[in-house]
Amino acid sequence: MSLAKPYDGAAIANRWRMRKFIADYGVYLALLALLLAATVLTPKLYDVNTIAVVMRQASQLGIVAIGQTMILLVAGLDLSVGGIFLMTSIVVADVTNGRDDLVIPAILISLALGALVGLGNGALVTKRRVPPFVATLGMLVLVKGATQAYTKGVPGGFVPDILGIVNQSWFVLSIPLALWLGLNAFFIFVLRRTSYGRKVYAVGSNSEAARLSGISVDAIRISVYVLGSCLAVVSGVVLTGYVGYVDRFIGTGLELDSIAAAIVGGTAFVGGRGGLLGTIAGVLIIQLLSTMALLMGLDIEVQFIIKGLVILGAVTLYSLASVEE
Amino acid sequence: MGWGIDEYILEMLNVSKSFAGVQALKDVTIRCRPGQVHGLVGENGAGKSTLMKILAGAYLADAGEIIYKGEVREQMSAGEIIDSGISIIYQELALVPQMSVAENIFLGREPQRALGILDLKSLHERAANLTERLGITMDTRTPVSELTVAQRQLVEIAKALSQNADLIVMDEPSAILAGSELDQLFRIIASLVEQGVTIIYISHRLDEVFRIADEVTVLKDGELVDTRPIEQLDRPALVELMVGRPLDEIFPQTDHEQGDLVLIAENISTDTILEGASLELYAGEILGIAGMVGSGRTELARALFGADPLTSGTITLVGAKGASWNNPAQAIESGLALVPEDRKSHGLFTSLSVRVNLTLPILSRLTRFGILQAQAEDEIVADAKERLSIVMASADQEAQYLSGGNQQKVVLAKWLETNPVVVILDEPTRGVDVGAKFEIYKLMRQLNDRGIAIVMISSELPEVIGMSDRILVMNAGRIVGEVPKAGATEAGIIELATMADAMASAS
Repeated sequence: MSLAKPYDGAAIANRWRMRKFIADYGVYLALLALLLAATVLTPKLYDVNTIAVVMRQASQLGIVAIGQTMILLVAGLDLSVGGIFLMTSIVVADVTNGRDDLVIPAILISLALGALVGLGNGALVTKRRVPPFVATLGMLVLVKGATQAYTKGVPGGFVPDILGIVNQSWFVLSIPLALWLGLNAFFIFVLRRTSYGRKVYAVGSNSEAARLSGISVDAIRISVYVLGSCLAVVSGVVLTGYVGYVDRFIGTGLELDSIAAAIVGGTAFVGGRGGLLGTIAGVLIIQLLSTMALLMGLDIEVQFIIKGLVILGAVTLYSLASVEE
Repeated sequence: MGWGIDEYILEMLNVSKSFAGVQALKDVTIRCRPGQVHGLVGENGAGKSTLMKILAGAYLADAGEIIYKGEVREQMSAGEIIDSGISIIYQELALVPQMSVAENIFLGREPQRALGILDLKSLHERAANLTERLGITMDTRTPVSELTVAQRQLVEIAKALSQNADLIVMDEPSAILAGSELDQLFRIIASLVEQGVTIIYISHRLDEVFRIADEVTVLKDGELVDTRPIEQLDRPALVELMVGRPLDEIFPQTDHEQGDLVLIAENISTDTILEGASLELYAGEILGIAGMVGSGRTELARALFGADPLTSGTITLVGAKGASWNNPAQAIESGLALVPEDRKSHGLFTSLSVRVNLTLPILSRLTRFGILQAQAEDEIVADAKERLSIVMASADQEAQYLSGGNQQKVVLAKWLETNPVVVILDEPTRGVDVGAKFEIYKLMRQLNDRGIAIVMISSELPEVIGMSDRILVMNAGRIVGEVPKAGATEAGIIELATMADAMASAS
């Protein structure tokens, strides 16, 4: 890069502020626009029950999206979460077989298995230098295959009634929403105010510089994959309670939705930039689009087209806002 | 063609260019006579490469005019510019390693038979003609990946000739060449000039410019300083034009004594070119490391810092903190710091704030139970800003929006906060403007005064000679000699850095 005087600091600072504004608040402006559009297009959205449902579904997506965001921050990607949903749902049904008192052990077993999947993802990406897309895609197929082999294609067991609690709302509050908000609060704090969070950003921003700054890059990467898988388990438990039975196709598409939510929320695909505040808005946008499309009676294909356009639009805007050199 | 021998083949008039508010070129004019070698010199960041990228069509000038072969050039694509007879050979060679010499030369313009089938016979014949014209023998079927860097450069030149180039720009071609290869390059340049080709030769090795250039244009801080026939210049005069002040005012001097031994490296090798390097480092000194690009300088720095694992040898830190290390984390713990050569890819977190950049290696000192103490961090940031006079809008500004000099200061400041005993600086002033350069020199002296030992790697020999107390010269992965400060000359260092071809081929 060529640099020469005069260095116009003020112009560059202004550019930086503009970019930062778009990065930090642009997605909230988009969310606001969507909510305004809804008053005309789908006024039915503004109903306490509908909002409660939207929030419960958003929470379920949002919990995975927390992990997905953190994985994207270290320049990774996790496609295996879909496998974790299926695995969680089968473990819960299989271990409890409908008994409420076995829910906690079932969740713990799911978390342990999820952590193993995350460890596998992390190890492949760091130790074997497999590109995250390939490693986690392989893991997705592996986990789905293994769970189906275990159930011989016919999932058995019953989902305990107590998990149905995730479908209850008090006004718009619900257990999934509380979980989502609580986990967000916790991880926003971790990312912003702890050395672990700083290291996550550093590894994603420039892994070699991070290593030369004394950071154990591999350990950070692996830990983030493990966290991502565990959050997918939590989300999977919520989803299992919502569906109420074991479905072979449970959670299909959520891996892509969670990535989309993070990207729409301003987290960079190349790592090191973005965060959970943006992802919250991204999740709400993705969820609102689905719900509004449903309320308008649009076909599923049209829903996909709209979602795709929103993602592409967001990415285009962010690329316009970022300045190279 | 409407231009004669007395006119210029190329005139770039009043060219300006800025990037994101940074003026990289301001009103620069350069005129090249046909069939001559035109030297283009200036420090890093002077605007040489930007000017040439505008010529190549890689950048669009904000203002100015290009007159080529007597005609004002309209806006053209990079491909059309090549067709018009202008070829640029960049420092980072742009060849496809898996493909053969001939395929690379005619990439995208392969001779074809009917139906688009490649005419391989003609391809190799024409490639052989070109290499012959360059006076070199080379099997045109060899994959480029098997060639030496010097040979690859010749392939680039052959490629330029195949495009009927009348004007070839060479961007620091010598940076990757050793003695006899350089002679070969100069022979080829001379024969090209005889054939009527015009060469723009970018270099910051002044000896070379004096050896081959007919005219020299000097740029500084994005502005034209002067264009002069080479006969009207001597070395000190050219340096003064480049730097803007006499040589002896550039490098701050101290008169400190050599301190205690702080670090011994014995016979260290890594899985890179580095082989069997030994050195001693004393408190408060600057140990300069000179050598060609690719001679193992950066590898030595990385080995000392534990960034590449040692395959043999030992590194010992003498004194209170006496320790050894196998990775950067342990090296930092022991009191080492490395400011890497490639700031953007190894040193700076461009997408993160200045604050985050400054505190990464000392997070453990700023946290309680893993939670950052905001006040302690603010103090560090304010201290660094003050100490190095870093110009920034806010500590939360992303590092990519700082100027090159300020970015380098951030990287330096980050390491000073770790209170190191040994600081390794790999090309500390690359890509920074002259003002920031002096500040970095002053800072290095301040570190010396505090007893900190500095290892400084630099491609700029005046800098190595001006700043170092002792100079080690590297060649082909080995340390081939030590030059004391007194009596160090650029010619002497280059000789050591390039002479040992025999040693290189033996290893």
